[in-house]
Amino acid sequence: MVRIHHIAIAWVAAATLAACGGGGSDTTPRTEVTQLKVMGDSLADVGTFGIKFTLQGADIYPERIAQSYGLSKGCNFYRFTGQTFAANPTPGCLNFAIGGGVINGASSNLNAADPRIISVQLATAVAAGNHRPGDLLLIVGGGNDAAALVTAYLRAGQPAPAGDGGAAYAALLGTQLSAAQVGAAVSGGANGLATAGGQYMTALANTFFDQIKAQALDKGAQRVALLNMPGITNTPRFQAVLAGIGAAAGSAARTQSEALFKGWVEAFNKQLATRASGNSAVALVDFYTSFNDQVANPAQYALTNVTVPACPVTGVGADRLPTYTFPTCSAATLGAAVPPTGAVGAGWWESWAFSDGFHPTPYGHQLLAQLISRTLAQAGWL
Amino acid sequence: MKIHTPPAATLVLAGLCLTCTSGAFAQSAGSLLGRISGTQISHEKSDGALTPPIFADTRATVKDDTRPTAGLTYMVNDNIAIDVPLALGFKHDIEGAGAIEGVGKIGEVKAWPVTLMVQYRFFDASSPLRPYAGIGPTYAKFYKARSTLALTSLTGGNAANPTTLSVDSKFTFTVQAGLIWQVTPRFFVDAAVMKTPLKTRTTLSTGQTLDAKLDPVSVSVGVGMKF
Repeated sequence: MVRIHHIAIAWVAAATLAACGGGGSDTTPRTEVTQLKVMGDSLADVGTFGIKFTLQGADIYPERIAQSYGLSKGCNFYRFTGQTFAANPTPGCLNFAIGGGVINGASSNLNAADPRIISVQLATAVAAGNHRPGDLLLIVGGGNDAAALVTAYLRAGQPAPAGDGGAAYAALLGTQLSAAQVGAAVSGGANGLATAGGQYMTALANTFFDQIKAQALDKGAQRVALLNMPGITNTPRFQAVLAGIGAAAGSAARTQSEALFKGWVEAFNKQLATRASGNSAVALVDFYTSFNDQVANPAQYALTNVTVPACPVTGVGADRLPTYTFPTCSAATLGAAVPPTGAVGAGWWESWAFSDGFHPTPYGHQLLAQLISRTLAQAGWL
Repeated sequence: MKIHTPPAATLVLAGLCLTCTSGAFAQSAGSLLGRISGTQISHEKSDGALTPPIFADTRATVKDDTRPTAGLTYMVNDNIAIDVPLALGFKHDIEGAGAIEGVGKIGEVKAWPVTLMVQYRFFDASSPLRPYAGIGPTYAKFYKARSTLALTSLTGGNAANPTTLSVDSKFTFTVQAGLIWQVTPRFFVDAAVMKTPLKTRTTLSTGQTLDAKLDPVSVSVGVGMKF
């Protein structure tokens, strides 16, 4: 039995040694990121207009990514004065994104220096010097461009006075396509106009990547996380537009329009992926696929509502679609108001996807931040 | 026969023991054998996916680990042995797979398998080569699970509010097949393969769980001696 005793002692000794060290969480990123710079549109705007384009007081995805790296949330570089965009007097603000931001300024009739144009944001970011090795750039764009293209396309098919016979659409096509391409589109009738939308989006992706290359990659940026274009047809706003098409022209027309617009977004994303492919400084975030998946499989993401905006409707726009008022929409106001139909429990909006007709809830932003994190980790940057 | 009673630490390093007595046959009834080995633990590819909310088909792979181990064997009679493998804990990296393939390490966990084997050693005690088979209870203790920033960020946390994980420890059993080569009357070489059926649950502080069939396979090669 002495031997058994030895075994017991040895076992206890091993157990004691085995319990040493480790546990908890390692919060050190694989790559040191010292600054997060953000360019884009309302999805990434942390306060140019004094608000965020979601529930007020909540973090949006650039703030979440910054905190992943242990950085401060960041602040808006621009400040809207009521008439124009001025520099935010607060020093050190590197979020250049502005609500309404576009790749193609002509699509929103912006003058060439308007900082709502993402290439202007990109140029401003390097005006005082090139990007540094510790910089991470987060760039999102194209959603508003796609919306402008769809809007112009739909005007072409409407009767006067809203309809313009395709003048606005052809003009917009002309800002990215050659005169010959636009001419072929117009003379090609309905099919020609539809096909040209895809050509426009492909050209737009080239424009966007050229801007990023010239103003970021060629100016020292070593890490660019680039979001592709989300499927804007998934948003309540575009679902309402599509419902209008269905009511006016039947469900086949609705299905056809939805497929067409999706095809356009996919044309943009395909070209953007082609351009980004093989470039180790660019990590392309597949926002498109993930957003589609959230809408198609909400339970997988703990979403309970992917169709109705969480913020209350406060009016009707010129386009007869509902409008929302972000400054008065927050967790506090939603919690104090009577919950909308289908809302379950306190904090019901935390499982809803949309805050208004076009923008995510804070939880939608969290999901987007998680997606970006996956891409960053796959690139070895997180 | 009188035997020495060295302290536990010496027993763990039994292979270095120079002052022990020896018997006629190394593996006869009443012998106490010690060994030091190298042991690799590898796992089946995980078959479970992390529960929502997370990307569909989010999986994890537990990587191999190799550590020095030791063991003590007591021969109850010429054929039946009680064997206690001794280990200081293995450290397994956990990497993303499935929907999060390519994100790299998402965590690590220490594993301490506590096993008591009952072995049947074939042939007689004087045979130079003795194959054996064993079976016994195992307590697979998982502890000191540590997440990485990748896991934290994939689950909505941040540096100030990290996601942590824990892995359930489990009682199971181990089956074993091995071979002893008696090189000299005192020294032998021992090689063994062990398989442990093991299903365990990993729980994240964000609420998701991952049920994984790990079924670790351990391969151990070592040298030993009789005291």
